[in-house]
Amino acid sequence: MMIPVLYIEATKDTPKILFDAENNQFEISEKSLPEDAIGFFQPVFDWLNQYIDNPKEESTFVFYLDYYSTSTAKQLTKIFYLIEKLSEKSKVKVVWKYQDADIDMYHAGLRYQKMLKIDFDIQKV
Amino acid sequence: MSLQEETTYKIIDILDKESMSYFYRGHLTQSITDGILALTETNLTKANEPVKVKKRVYTILVEGLQNITRHQEGPQGHKSFFGVEQSGEYYYITMSNIIPNQNIDHLSGQLDKINNLEKEELKTFYKQALLENELSDKGGAGLGLIEMARKSGNKLQYDFKKINEQHSYFYLRTYIKHNLSTVDSNTRHLDFSNIFKLHEQLESEDVLIIFNGIFNQESLINLLSIIESQMATQPSLRKKVFNIMVELLQNIVKHGLAINDSDGNPGLFYISAINDGYKLNTGNFIKTEDIDALKDKIDQVNKLDNKELNEFYDKRLFNFQIDNSKESGLGLIELRLKSNAKLEYAFKKESEEHSFFTIEVTINR
Repeated sequence: MMIPVLYIEATKDTPKILFDAENNQFEISEKSLPEDAIGFFQPVFDWLNQYIDNPKEESTFVFYLDYYSTSTAKQLTKIFYLIEKLSEKSKVKVVWKYQDADIDMYHAGLRYQKMLKIDFDIQKV
Repeated sequence: MSLQEETTYKIIDILDKESMSYFYRGHLTQSITDGILALTETNLTKANEPVKVKKRVYTILVEGLQNITRHQEGPQGHKSFFGVEQSGEYYYITMSNIIPNQNIDHLSGQLDKINNLEKEELKTFYKQALLENELSDKGGAGLGLIEMARKSGNKLQYDFKKINEQHSYFYLRTYIKHNLSTVDSNTRHLDFSNIFKLHEQLESEDVLIIFNGIFNQESLINLLSIIESQMATQPSLRKKVFNIMVELLQNIVKHGLAINDSDGNPGLFYISAINDGYKLNTGNFIKTEDIDALKDKIDQVNKLDNKELNEFYDKRLFNFQIDNSKESGLGLIELRLKSNAKLEYAFKKESEEHSFFTIEVTINR
């Protein structure tokens, strides 16, 4: 059975989230600075945990964040760990996008790339 | 006592600690005006004001902000100034813009005329002004002033301060009572000397915005949008300021001490322009017993060089022993990394239980 699409619209302080297994779209974008980052990302953790049980052959996760707070950084690590777990069962790729002049966001991508054992591509937009 | 500490405490001393206030100093644009209005709306909603009072405060703000937007050219280093304070039963609205000295007489005449009219007369005068619609090349025709007087139900108090032979600051203050049903029989004479002092202090430090009030996620978002639209600077610096501001303000939201029952934590935030970037300051209450622990944390990150900071960040990022809704363990490291400068801080003991903590982060281009 296919897991229902997880779609959360962006607000001034939370990112857009689109996890759609059927169309192989997994994307987190825009800004993330919620007051309670753990609570906000809980649906994403739940979704991924379900998806790990029954994944598609290949999944590409796109992260294209304009800005995120340190409390979000920690939750992104959790998401990456879940993706790492998924990579033991199926083919997985992460694309970390950043805007041309945004050196800090590029370095943030490097930080995760270095620490994770997954196919992690950093792309300039 | 460090310079930063003196400045912050000087500002706090001028501001009424019991009150909520914010002041903006700089060029007003539409997006900044929108941000200020949103910030006021958030605060009015929090204060559970009756709709009628909200609308009146809102109208006075809109008129005042528009008035400044139309008249804000002045000599170098001098900028318009705008503020809202809430103290006790009253809202106080203060605005200041730069005018040519030759306009002082006319403006005083106009204000005196408005101030001498009774409620009904003001209404007639407003209609008359509308009909005549004597628009100057900058628009207006004093309609804004009449509208402000009508909505506040109080006199428009004013003063001028000479800048040079050509220009002066024009200060306008008025107030509105929370509870409209209780009538004020006497006019409250508003103090201008404190406003002059504050304006001078903010000018000498080149402070762009100062917010003294309740911090919650909503006020944080409104402040961010004001700062974002105000900074005419390169995107990378703007983003750094944004980053640091979020961390500093969320610190208050998450760790500040709520002194009274309120929808957030009281604190202070201001940002000032320096030669090559910006300086961000926050202040909030903490438990006196927590001073040592906080001091140790800051000293620890202050001692690290860039490489060590990055290592420390990585370690914390992948360590879930510190991970709850209040703390990620990354905030202070991030402040040091993004600012690339030491974090300045100070504590001032208010009582056995409470102390006031201030921190300053400098961001260079």
